[in-house]
Amino acid sequence: MARRPHPKKEIEAAIRHAEDEGWSVEVGGSHAWGRMYCPDNDKECRCGEFCITSIWSTPKQPETHARQLRRVVDNCSTHPKKAENPAEE
Amino acid sequence: MEYHFTLTYQLTPADSNSQELVERLGEAGCTDALVGIGLAGRLALEFDREAERAETAVLSAMADVQRAVPTARLIEVAPDLVGLTDVASLVNVTRQNMRKLMVAHQESFPIPVHGGSATLWHLEDLLTWMQARTGYHVAADVLEVAQTARRVNVQKEWQRVSDTPSRELLALAR
Repeated sequence: MARRPHPKKEIEAAIRHAEDEGWSVEVGGSHAWGRMYCPDNDKECRCGEFCITSIWSTPKQPETHARQLRRVVDNCSTHPKKAENPAEE
Repeated sequence: MEYHFTLTYQLTPADSNSQELVERLGEAGCTDALVGIGLAGRLALEFDREAERAETAVLSAMADVQRAVPTARLIEVAPDLVGLTDVASLVNVTRQNMRKLMVAHQESFPIPVHGGSATLWHLEDLLTWMQARTGYHVAADVLEVAQTARRVNVQKEWQRVSDTPSRELLALAR
């Protein structure tokens, strides 16, 4: 594996979850540890701003940051989880 | 209490270097926010901020962003303007259920802010209504954030309109 792991284990786990869902991760920065890129940033996608999400080196609360990162990945409009909820109209 | 809300901003071309922008936000204490930089010219921050009151959380977050990116202009504080799908997911009911409520209580259901191909309400109105009329449990922190978000958004719009409304306008636009 080429990339350097995040020092906080819960955040590293959230990043791996993102990678499992096809997100790519780029390391770099100081306050920022790096950023993650949605695999499906196209016009069908509704997550918009969070298609590129910054990852902090030392967030105020690592558990919260890990949860925020997972939420972005799981709410991505092309994520399989959404497909389990067909439109009700 | 930890308050959950999102701030979105419009950026000027001078702030197009997102890497530098994120560093400045980190310096200003926004490390309790998830920073989204996926849209050109836009900045989104999803905060989980610890504070005594929602207003303290939202205003301190806005102050942090202003310190880091003074030229950024606030688009909105969310969640405030919502459709039925949004509110359904916030209070954990299905959209279908929400629609049924609306149809069954036409006379008391909150008036929307915008009615078009997509109808929008202030979340505060929907939550207050649901709590009073249907016995749905609405989390206190969610309601508090919705109230604060609305106040900030309306105030922002009001400042951009700026002139004093006529007596006639005040009497008719109720």
